[in-house]
Order: sequence, then C-alpha cells, then structure tokens
Amino acid sequence: MTSPQTWTRFRRSKLALFALVYVALMTLIALLAPVWRIDPDAIDLSHRLAPPDAAHVLGTDELGRDILARMMFGARISLAVGFFATLISVVVGSFFGAIAGYYGRAADWIVSRLIEVVLCFPFLFLVLGIVALFRPSLMTIMIALGLTTWTNEARYIRAEFLRIRELEFAQAARASGARDARIIFRHLLPNAIAPVLVSASFGVAYAILTESALSFLGLGVPLPTASWGSILSDAKSQIEYAWWLILFPGLAIFTTVAAFNVIGERIRDALDPRST
Amino acid sequence: MGAYLLRRLLYAVLTFFGITVATFTLIHIVPGDPITFYIGHAGVTTIPKATLDAIKREYHLDEPLPAQYLYWLRGAVTLDFGRSTQDRRPVTERILEKLPNTLQLNIVAFVLAALFGIPIGLWSATRSGRATERASAVFFFLLYSLPSFWVALILMQIFSVKLDILPLFGMNSDDFRELDTFHFLLDRTKHLVLPVITLAYAQLAIFARFSKSALTEVIRQDFITTARAKGAGEGVVLWHHALRNALIPLITLLGLTIPYLISGSVIVEQIFQWDGAGMLYYDAILSRDYPTVMGMTLITALITLIAGLFADILYVFADPRLRLGESIR
Repeated sequence: MTSPQTWTRFRRSKLALFALVYVALMTLIALLAPVWRIDPDAIDLSHRLAPPDAAHVLGTDELGRDILARMMFGARISLAVGFFATLISVVVGSFFGAIAGYYGRAADWIVSRLIEVVLCFPFLFLVLGIVALFRPSLMTIMIALGLTTWTNEARYIRAEFLRIRELEFAQAARASGARDARIIFRHLLPNAIAPVLVSASFGVAYAILTESALSFLGLGVPLPTASWGSILSDAKSQIEYAWWLILFPGLAIFTTVAAFNVIGERIRDALDPRST
Repeated sequence: MGAYLLRRLLYAVLTFFGITVATFTLIHIVPGDPITFYIGHAGVTTIPKATLDAIKREYHLDEPLPAQYLYWLRGAVTLDFGRSTQDRRPVTERILEKLPNTLQLNIVAFVLAALFGIPIGLWSATRSGRATERASAVFFFLLYSLPSFWVALILMQIFSVKLDILPLFGMNSDDFRELDTFHFLLDRTKHLVLPVITLAYAQLAIFARFSKSALTEVIRQDFITTARAKGAGEGVVLWHHALRNALIPLITLLGLTIPYLISGSVIVEQIFQWDGAGMLYYDAILSRDYPTVMGMTLITALITLIAGLFADILYVFADPRLRLGESIR
C-alpha cells in the first residue's frame, strides 16, 4: 500500500520530482501534438535536409519533413506503447502472480515453470519475431511487449500474496464467506500492488526503449507514421551530413527512458528506505 | 545438495520442453498457410498442386498439429531444424557458420564490461553516502538508459565520419585477404572497437550496479559488525570478510546477462553490418524463413537455459551454506 510517508520520501529526491515533471510535460506534448500547426508528414522537397533554423526549429529530414512536428507525433507512439504495453504486462503479471501466490502448491508450481520458460527467450528476439511475423503495427508491438515482460510483475505480486494472504484481514474476509475471486481482487490485490509500481515504471522505460529499437530496425509502427526510432533509422543514411537527425530524436528517447527509470528507482527507495 | 541439483536438472529438462512447445505454438499461430514454412511464399503460387501435396506429405503437414510437433521435436533434439527457405541449406549449418562471429563480439564485450564494471561497483559501495558514490550511481543509471543504436550512430559520427580513424561498419576491410596475420588481426580489432563499446557500456552499468548492491548488502550484515567490533581494520573487513561473500551473487549475473547480450547483438550487428547470428536472425524474420527463425529461437533459448543452469550449479559449489533442499533465491 502506498502510504503518505512513501510520497514524502519520494518527494525528497529533486531528481525524481524533475523526472515526474518531465514525463508530465512529454505527455502533454504528445496529447497536444495534433493541435500543432505543422503536418508531420508534409513533404517539402525544396527544404530537404535543412539544418535547424527559424522555420524548422529542429531541421528537416531528406523529404523536407519538419523534425519537431515528427518528434511531437513520435512522442505519442512512444508513450502509448510505453503505457499500454506496461498495462498489459501488469494485468497478465498480476493474474498469474495472484493465482500462484493465493493458491500455492500446484498453481504456484505451474506458474513458476511458465515464468522460467518465458525468461529463457532472449527478450528482443521474441519481440522482434512476434512483431515481424504477425506484421508490425502499434497493436502488435504493445501485445508482444506486454506478453513477454509480465514475469517481473508476476513475481512481485506472488511474493506479496504469499506475505499477506494469511494476515488478519484476509482471514476475516475468508471467514465471512467471501468467494476466492472477491478475496483476491477486492482484498489482496489492492494491498499487493505497490511494488508493481516500481516494475511498471521500469517497464514503461523498457517498452519505450524497445519500441524505438524496433522502429530503428524497420519493424516498428508502419511508415510514414513518425516515431523517434524511425527518424533515427533515416538518420543512418544521412550520417555524414545531418547531425540534427541523430541528436534530437536520440535525446528524446534517452531523456524519457531515463526519467521513467529514475521514477522507478526512487519509488523503490521510498517503499523500502533500507535498500540503496 | 545432490537433491537440489537433481531437481534443478529435472526442471531444466522440463523447461526445455516448455521452450519447444512455446516456439512451435508461436510459429503455428502466425497467420498463413503452413506450407510456406517450408517452401517460402513464392513457392505456393509457382509450384504445381501435385508437387505441393508431395511436399505436404514429406513434411507431415497432412497430419494433426501434435504429430507435427513431435516430428519437429525429434529433429530439434538432434539440432536438426530442416532447411532454410532462403538458400535451402541446413539451418544448423547456417547458424554454426555465423555463431563464431557473434561470440567474438559478445565475449570481448562481456569481458571488458566485467573487468571495468565489477571493480567500479565494488569501489562505489565502499564510498556509500559520499558525493562520489551518489554521482556514480546517477551516472550508471543514465548510462543504462541510453539507447544502444543512438550511441552507435554517435560513435560512428565521431570516430568514423569526423575523425576518420575507425571503420564505419563491416568485419574486415575490403583488402583483408591480402593482409598478413598481424595486419589482419589489427584490421579486425579496429572493426571491433565501435560494436564492442556499443554492446559493452550497458553491460558495464549492469555489472557495476549489481556488484555495488551485492557488496552493500554484505556490509550491512552482523558478521561485518562483529569483525569491526573485534578491531579488524577497515581494509581487512572489506577485502577479507566482505568481498568473498559479495562475489557469490555475481555468479547469477552470468546467467542473467546472456539473454541481454544475445538480444543486444541483433541491434549491434544490424547497425555495424557484423556478419553474425543476430543478422542471420534478422534476415530470417524479414524473409519469413520459418525453419531458421525456429532454429535460432530454440538455440538462443537453449543457450540461456544452459547458462542459467550452469550459474545455479556454480552457485551451489561457491556457497557452502546451501544445503539439501534449501531453495535459492
């Protein structure tokens, strides 16, 4: 359970607060991108590979498209994948973790073996394979990411369930005749979800990183939809001329991923002050 | 201890079957006619129906899925994954041909990351609470958040384009066949520098963070307090009492980082046009070469499984506290 003390301890870190503000700002940019007056897909061949200037603050790519506009729309892809892939991961992980932790014995054994199997597949291999074979789209990427990263959440939830399932409030619920599903979802899960915040925050960072890697490899959201990774992918062929194509999208990926990582780290510290 | 190892081994076998079922299922829920698994997409429209039926019989495609799985499994346990739909050569042969190139890259990166990462991590654990420690913690955190393909592009821009001292990509220069052994190795080393840095920096951050928290964990324990209370000097406490115990958890890193390295090599090999197994896999999924995709998936999962098993066994031998039936982590 997240207590007021947790928030107090979290707030103590200036870096974490800064990261939180940064993420909020990035989300705002993503939401407001369509309001922006520049079309991210508008081709202007008279302004190809223009360096940053007053007309195009972050320059243009080899088709004369405005990089700032493309990056603002790219933020939508990155954050959408980050949030929704993590949501899937949390739901699937909570489901398996709850079953394993609540029922124990055979259920626990089966879930543990399942986690072992999933962890054996090199993560990016699996995601690349699924996304490419089922055809790349926003939906495929989210599902592939969600279905391969739920193991952390499952382990956290399982451990919490093992800890709290015999506590008095759980026994009281059982004694009052509540069904298993009700005990799990109404009583236990809300009390076990706090550590998941940590892995969810890292999960968003990882999902954003992976989506941009997929787009970079040409297996992300189909073109011409802009994504930070695909702008970088275009930059590869312009490496000798266009530094702005490399610098800005990379910086966007790096800072956003770092922000989510910092938030996750500080939540972990705040939940358990003893750990470093 | 024996019982634990036996159970661990048994689970590994079980996990192996889980892996094969998962791989087979994943490939078979991909939309499309299964015959394209074996002859490629182009084949379906160009080959006459009678021949198609013969191929279906040959690959047991006319039998139910569980039977197909067993046929595939029979091949898989002997590392026979059939022939690639790209060039008709045996999948295993193609993988074994590229694997050494990938290993070369990965082993150098792994060793360098460990060589620098572990001492830095241990060192920063001893400076707990000081400004240098907090600064290094943030630094490693940021390092870990850097996208590798971006780092690669920046490195290429600086060292290959601007300074022109390292090759942009590839494994050898064009004239490598005419070089003598020394210059060949020099040439290969130059080509290795940028891919290795790209692969190693995130590893280094992981090693540093992990070894730091391992040592910090040990320093907190009672026997360290006891050692200090006895009057042992801080140096003796650290190097004699704490370090040995902190190194044991590092063994698990061996098992944990292998999948990350394999994953990372797909990106790095693709950027630097390094002719390894990661590129093979990438090309295979793009051309929907299912036998190669299944083979690569299974082999990499198997490598991960064996590395994990190996790490767990090492762990038992390294830590005398582990007794019969006691579970690890």
